[in-house]
Amino acid sequence: MIHTINQNIYLPRPAIIKELIVENSQIKTFDLSFVDEEYNKTFTYAPGQFMMVSIPHCGEAPISFSSTPSRPGTLSLSVRKAGTLTNAMHELTEGAFIGLRGPYGTPFSMDALKGKNLLFVAGGIGLAPLRSVINYCMDNEKDFREITILYGSRLPSDLAFTADLDLWQKRPDTTCLLTVDQAEPGWNGHTGVVTTLFDKITVDPSSTVALVCGPPLMIRFVLAELSRMGIQDEDIITTLERHMKCGVGICRHCHMDNKLVCVDGPVFNRAELRNLEVAELLT
Amino acid sequence: MTGLATTFGSGAMTNSINEIEQAEVIIVSGSNTTEAHPQVARRIFDALDNGAKLIVIDPRRTLLAEFAHIHLDIKGGTDIPLLNGMMRVILDENLVDDLFIEMRTENYHALRDMLFRLDLNKIADITGVALEKISAAAQLYARAQKAVICYCLGITQHVCGTGNVETIANLAMMAGHVEKEFTGVDPLRGQNNVQGACDMGALPGVFPSYQAVNNPEHREKFERAWGVELSPVPGLTLMHMTHGGPKSPVRGMFIMGENPVLSEPKANKVDQTLKELEFLAVSDIFLSETAQLAHVVFPAASFAEKTGTFTNSERRVQMVRQAIPPIGSCRPDCEIIMSISERLGYPMDYESTAEIMEEIALLAPTYGGMHHDRLESSWGLQWPCWDREHPGTPFLHKYYFSRGLGQFIPTTHQSPGELPDDDYPLVLNTGMVYHQYRTATMTRNSVTLNRECNEAVLEVNPQDAASYNIRTDDMVKLSSRRGSITLKAQVTEQVGAGSVYTTFHFTEAPINELTVDTKDPKSKCPEFKVCAVKMEKITT
Amino acid sequence: MRSKDGKNNNMTDKFILKKDHLVSFLRRLKKEYHLVAPVKNIQGDTMFTLVDSVDEVEFDLVNQAVTSIKPFLFPQQETLFTYETSANGDYRFDSVCNSQPTVYFGVHSCDLSAVLYMDVTFSLTARDPYYLEKRKNAVLISVGCNEPSENCFCNAAKTGPFLEYGFDLQLTDLGNRFFVDVGRATGQEIVSKWQHFFAPAEEEDVKLQYQTYLEARGKFTRQVHMDQAIKRLKSGKVPESIWSELSLRCQDCSGCAYICPTCTCFSISDRKLSEHEGERLRSWDACTFSGFTRMAGDHNPVDHRTQAIRQRFLHKMLYDVQKHNRPSCIGCGRCVGICFGGVDIIRFIDLVTN
Repeated sequence: MIHTINQNIYLPRPAIIKELIVENSQIKTFDLSFVDEEYNKTFTYAPGQFMMVSIPHCGEAPISFSSTPSRPGTLSLSVRKAGTLTNAMHELTEGAFIGLRGPYGTPFSMDALKGKNLLFVAGGIGLAPLRSVINYCMDNEKDFREITILYGSRLPSDLAFTADLDLWQKRPDTTCLLTVDQAEPGWNGHTGVVTTLFDKITVDPSSTVALVCGPPLMIRFVLAELSRMGIQDEDIITTLERHMKCGVGICRHCHMDNKLVCVDGPVFNRAELRNLEVAELLT
Repeated sequence: MTGLATTFGSGAMTNSINEIEQAEVIIVSGSNTTEAHPQVARRIFDALDNGAKLIVIDPRRTLLAEFAHIHLDIKGGTDIPLLNGMMRVILDENLVDDLFIEMRTENYHALRDMLFRLDLNKIADITGVALEKISAAAQLYARAQKAVICYCLGITQHVCGTGNVETIANLAMMAGHVEKEFTGVDPLRGQNNVQGACDMGALPGVFPSYQAVNNPEHREKFERAWGVELSPVPGLTLMHMTHGGPKSPVRGMFIMGENPVLSEPKANKVDQTLKELEFLAVSDIFLSETAQLAHVVFPAASFAEKTGTFTNSERRVQMVRQAIPPIGSCRPDCEIIMSISERLGYPMDYESTAEIMEEIALLAPTYGGMHHDRLESSWGLQWPCWDREHPGTPFLHKYYFSRGLGQFIPTTHQSPGELPDDDYPLVLNTGMVYHQYRTATMTRNSVTLNRECNEAVLEVNPQDAASYNIRTDDMVKLSSRRGSITLKAQVTEQVGAGSVYTTFHFTEAPINELTVDTKDPKSKCPEFKVCAVKMEKITT
Repeated sequence: MRSKDGKNNNMTDKFILKKDHLVSFLRRLKKEYHLVAPVKNIQGDTMFTLVDSVDEVEFDLVNQAVTSIKPFLFPQQETLFTYETSANGDYRFDSVCNSQPTVYFGVHSCDLSAVLYMDVTFSLTARDPYYLEKRKNAVLISVGCNEPSENCFCNAAKTGPFLEYGFDLQLTDLGNRFFVDVGRATGQEIVSKWQHFFAPAEEEDVKLQYQTYLEARGKFTRQVHMDQAIKRLKSGKVPESIWSELSLRCQDCSGCAYICPTCTCFSISDRKLSEHEGERLRSWDACTFSGFTRMAGDHNPVDHRTQAIRQRFLHKMLYDVQKHNRPSCIGCGRCVGICFGGVDIIRFIDLVTN
């Protein structure tokens, strides 16, 4: 028998690349829309969720939304070249087709962030899922208090989402600090790992929620630092990256002790991670 | 094979695989058993659970070495001095099985005289193994009631491969560890059905069942059966054929299920030889690197698409039955051979593989009682199986050796064909991983197996890594006097200092472009396990 | 199935099927369903087999089948859908999902329990159409085990030797006849539709069945302390050293996961059929493989040497207990026979409880 798409969770929907933004040599952002116009109108997602992306002959991989649902009609995925599928994505041009299914995963709880100071700490491609939250917050600025963004990359030329960074830096209610591990000619900014930016900000641990995403080593150091600053475990939130095949809690590739990152995550607060063997937190 | 044939009279495993689990002491030499022979490793684990003691002889700290009570981590290619040293200890400690030697063997005095001339301290130097460890291993082995020696390509793929095997046989006979159940000398075959191919005469000098082509009586028997005149001259060895270069007398080749372009040493020479052939036909289930050079490729059926027998390491002939019809245009090997033969003017009209098996039973005495109807309903029969009534032979050499008396052949150390020097200071050793098989012609088609291991890595000892400033995942260029390849480094204590190790599965890192084509003068088996190389870090 | 005193109050769901009539009953069933049953092959192995002709096979209801019926409901490899790209780059998918009404006959209690577990796996967080379609078409006729096999411990796993629920029909061998318990609705339908095969069970039969059940429970040779192991695991008092001890002997063959009736990890990959066509395949995978969790760029969040084995055993014996209140080891003992290194669930339970 032939299933309709609604019944078959594994069946991707064709989508078209509307616009392609080169963020840096490793990262591209894909603005997408489904071929099925009707579906576009009803499709919704939340910051922190991800899509399973298909390319012919290359299989699938999970990619977080880097766009915000508060701007209807935008669906962006930012992709770093890492494996077969992401390399193939980087070969695509505007107008090309890909397959999409989702959205999947437990999102950031935006309600729980309301009325809080928000501290975003990101490294490299890790800014992608946080960009979704940040822009959501900017679109709903009344709901949130002060926003601080700390973003680090390896080199100045690796800094991604520069258009957003410019906008954020210009906002009066927002602090957006950048750092690089290694300076290049022309770089006048801060040099050092992202935790060195903590000296430049003041944080009220009782009213701040921190959202963290980046390479495993960065997550480990940042989480430790945030705890040291006195932020409660429940208020330290991160989003994890894992190998996934189904995206819906069956195939088990993303196991992490008794959790599956695809359904129990990818967003976790530190309290949830406390008693788990999490690669990002192991010393 | 040659080594056991000269000492015992037969080159196969003397035991059955499941006997190993009952042994008290097991010596594993030159075999990465868990990766290459998991079914044998399983019996070794069972034996360990039953309290057996394990001695591993290997320059690498293999997984099995982790379980060893004694790991003799010799320098590559020093097996003979090590084993001779063990025998000298057995002699000094009065652990020689005099009765067995007296009743069952010959030429012991020559061995004893040779052993008396040995200097144990010198052996410790050559092998790099402390005397205490050699002594402990020797005593453990000799004192056991039931002791087994398993060895694999780490013993045979040396310039002194035959000598290595003869020395192992000497050790076993000296301790009287041959003729019994749970006790013996067990070569583990490198590939499925290598035993069967040898049994069927896929060797230069013999017809099926090791009947020599230069023996007029044997030859006449096959001439009568096949109605043709047969050459009394042994054929060429594989290395002669594949490394002949432009001067080779071979003008055409038909290669079945082999991928010499990757699997043979000094592989660039193989490539050259095959390209210069007037005609090359290859039959394989996938388009291997060798098949890509062929003028004609025959798509062969896989194991699941044909009926016939395989013979494993323990001389067990087992049937495979066709599970699915051949896919596409592929055909079973025997059909391919028969069609070619017919067009060459010699029709073979076997109705089925069962009929071929009948002819084997008729002409190959050790297979005399092997018929499909007997094999079909059992887990196979172990040769020798002389006639229909014969139950097969789980272990060899009971009461007498195949050659009558077991022959001691004293052997002394022979240096590898190429030793490290100032220009090429490291020793290269090669082997396999669990998830790939041989040149990966088949296994690379499995998504899962390929995901587990899809590239060659060069194992480097931490000491060498430090002096070359190499870290895990760095790319290195590995060169020998014959060629060079690029691959990823992995720093591990599994290899000793001064040695590097990698696998030969991958076409991207064809390690056999580096290996030497020196070979054992008796078995013609090439020395895959030792050659001198140099390593350079590639900086990006 | 029965009240505590062994008597039965509701006799309308208890029947007798004479052994003489079994083959003709199966022949009937086969007219409306595909029939999958344990058949002894030429080597003497019992395999679940799609039966062509009920007269030409030897059914074996006693010995444990080499594999469970998992491969029929969740095949080792199946095509999820085909895809096609056209000249303009359009990327389209066609779902493939075929399933026929099938009777699985002679399923042992443990294997049937495994199906009930898979039902949860494939429907809890998302509905897997490929499994559920096959499952919807499946009729399960189980058989209680009078003679447990050497490595069986379903008594400890509480999945046998007889079942209370989950089956459509459950047979108990009473010598010259089968006692038949009717479970779910399809079982009732079968008994009603072909009622001439089924005589109502007498009080004697019920007693004899209970007797058989008690005797079978006494025949287990393996002492496996599953409850105690679960308690230990819950308390967190398991020494870390057992993981490396077990890992060292694991050779990554995944045989344990493939043979396990409840292991359902899978992978999805594309097979290119031509430049513009291909199919997306799902195939069995195993958490013991190092590539199972390895990410693009080679980072692996799971330390293969210790955590992979840990995941396999804790998933079965702790995480599923936390989540579903019962372990997902069904006590069939198949992993005991298959592992090269002896890294089986019984060794694990022994290590935890000692």
